[in-house]
Amino acid sequence: MSMAHASHYETLGLTSEATLEQVEKAYQFFAAMYEDQALATYSLLGPEEQLEARTRIREAYEILKHALERPQDDSQLAAPAALAAQAPPAPLPRPTSVRIEAPRAPRLLPEPVTGASLREAREDLGVALQHIAEITKIGVRFLEYIEGDRHKDLPALVYLRGFVQEYARCLGLDPRRTADSYLSRLPKPDPQSR
Amino acid sequence: MSESLARGVVRPRRQIWSIGGGKGGIGKSLLTASLGWQLARMGKRVILVDSDLGGANLHTCLGLANPERTLGDFIRRRAERIEEVLVETGFPRLRLISGASDFLGAANIKYPQKVRVLNRIRALEVDIVLLDLGAGTSYNIIDFFLISDLGLLMVVPEPTSIENAYRFIKSALYRRFRNAVTHDGVRALIEAALDQKNPQGIRTPLDLVAAVAREHPEEAALLKAEMAAFRPRFVVNQVREEADAEIGYQLVAACARHLGVRSTYAGFVHYDEAVWRSVRQRRMFMVNAPRSRAAEDVSRLARSLVQGETLRLSL
Repeated sequence: MSMAHASHYETLGLTSEATLEQVEKAYQFFAAMYEDQALATYSLLGPEEQLEARTRIREAYEILKHALERPQDDSQLAAPAALAAQAPPAPLPRPTSVRIEAPRAPRLLPEPVTGASLREAREDLGVALQHIAEITKIGVRFLEYIEGDRHKDLPALVYLRGFVQEYARCLGLDPRRTADSYLSRLPKPDPQSR
Repeated sequence: MSESLARGVVRPRRQIWSIGGGKGGIGKSLLTASLGWQLARMGKRVILVDSDLGGANLHTCLGLANPERTLGDFIRRRAERIEEVLVETGFPRLRLISGASDFLGAANIKYPQKVRVLNRIRALEVDIVLLDLGAGTSYNIIDFFLISDLGLLMVVPEPTSIENAYRFIKSALYRRFRNAVTHDGVRALIEAALDQKNPQGIRTPLDLVAAVAREHPEEAALLKAEMAAFRPRFVVNQVREEADAEIGYQLVAACARHLGVRSTYAGFVHYDEAVWRSVRQRRMFMVNAPRSRAAEDVSRLARSLVQGETLRLSL
């Protein structure tokens, strides 16, 4: 790792033993030094060279920060870090497109809404099922049942409505009408089963 | 005393320190006077030499009247012995040789002559000779900077001051190259580099060394050695906020990266109302306001210079 990053450390005036904190401090120092119109560099470098220097510093910083924040990449790990390496992978980065908690104009899917059309809408947005699970706190398994129309495996309808509404909200769909449409295809609940 | 002094033979005692910076009015004379005073107080025998072109006022900074005899008198043989132009300041161990405005400008003395003058000063009973170089980047000034054992470059956190400091560094380094090199082709490249708009596109000392390495590779090592031996030390004056003091570290980093010059950061002095109040009364602020921030900064600077310490960015 350090071989590949040697030039980035050099860009930040550091040796490859530098800690994340040192990388942060060095970045702040050089960012100020190469700032637009910065006293120490404006007369030595033209505006383009200054910009180029800023870009190089920023790139080095981001790459090293990323590398240092994920110590499991390193082969020489201390015990606590080794445990961390066995832990489940970090949650997927959240695509910004789905951070629509309250969409301005909720979309509607063609009637009737099915598990397949929900899945298609989700995949069009490039949203992972795990991501919806994280936001809605609904287990991935149940979300899979909803998309697979595995109605027999689904929990009681009273919960299902809520689940579908949450799912729909995540994709920027109208929660109530999506849930209505989805549930309309299901057999009427047997009063005995309640 | 031999001329080898010019080659940077460092003696444990009897050192020549110079204070330059290119720009006028940024406090070089005040720093020379106060630093000298502090060094004397620390037990060093100090001689201040005013070589400020046309603006010799070191004596005023010390609260003295215009001295009758100056270094110019010695150079023009109006005074036979250097002792004759040496003035007591009234402070123990602190003496002054005044430039009184006719020293460098009119005399236009040659490099070996400058070395001789400084050697005569160094031969006096002294530990540290402090040269106030005054403003400008002429050879007259730069040669004294290069002859010194320790060269302080003063800046204030203002664009013109920093531009001048970089110009000073480049001029000094090229002059140093010029003195060291005998090869005609390399000399021609150095001459070309002095013109900022040279067709070879040499804009910095790093470019110059690269051009020499290309065209006369056998000579490049000499330039690199001269470059490595040139170690100016920055002093940032009139610091008003933390970011101003930070500029010293930025200057060191910028010199290394973009000029190839290994400078250091000697220290900084705060802007302080106590200084100009003392200047107005023609008194030393070190005496008048010993507890002022500026006085404390100068004391710290004197200590670190004597101990050979520099400020380092802690990461």
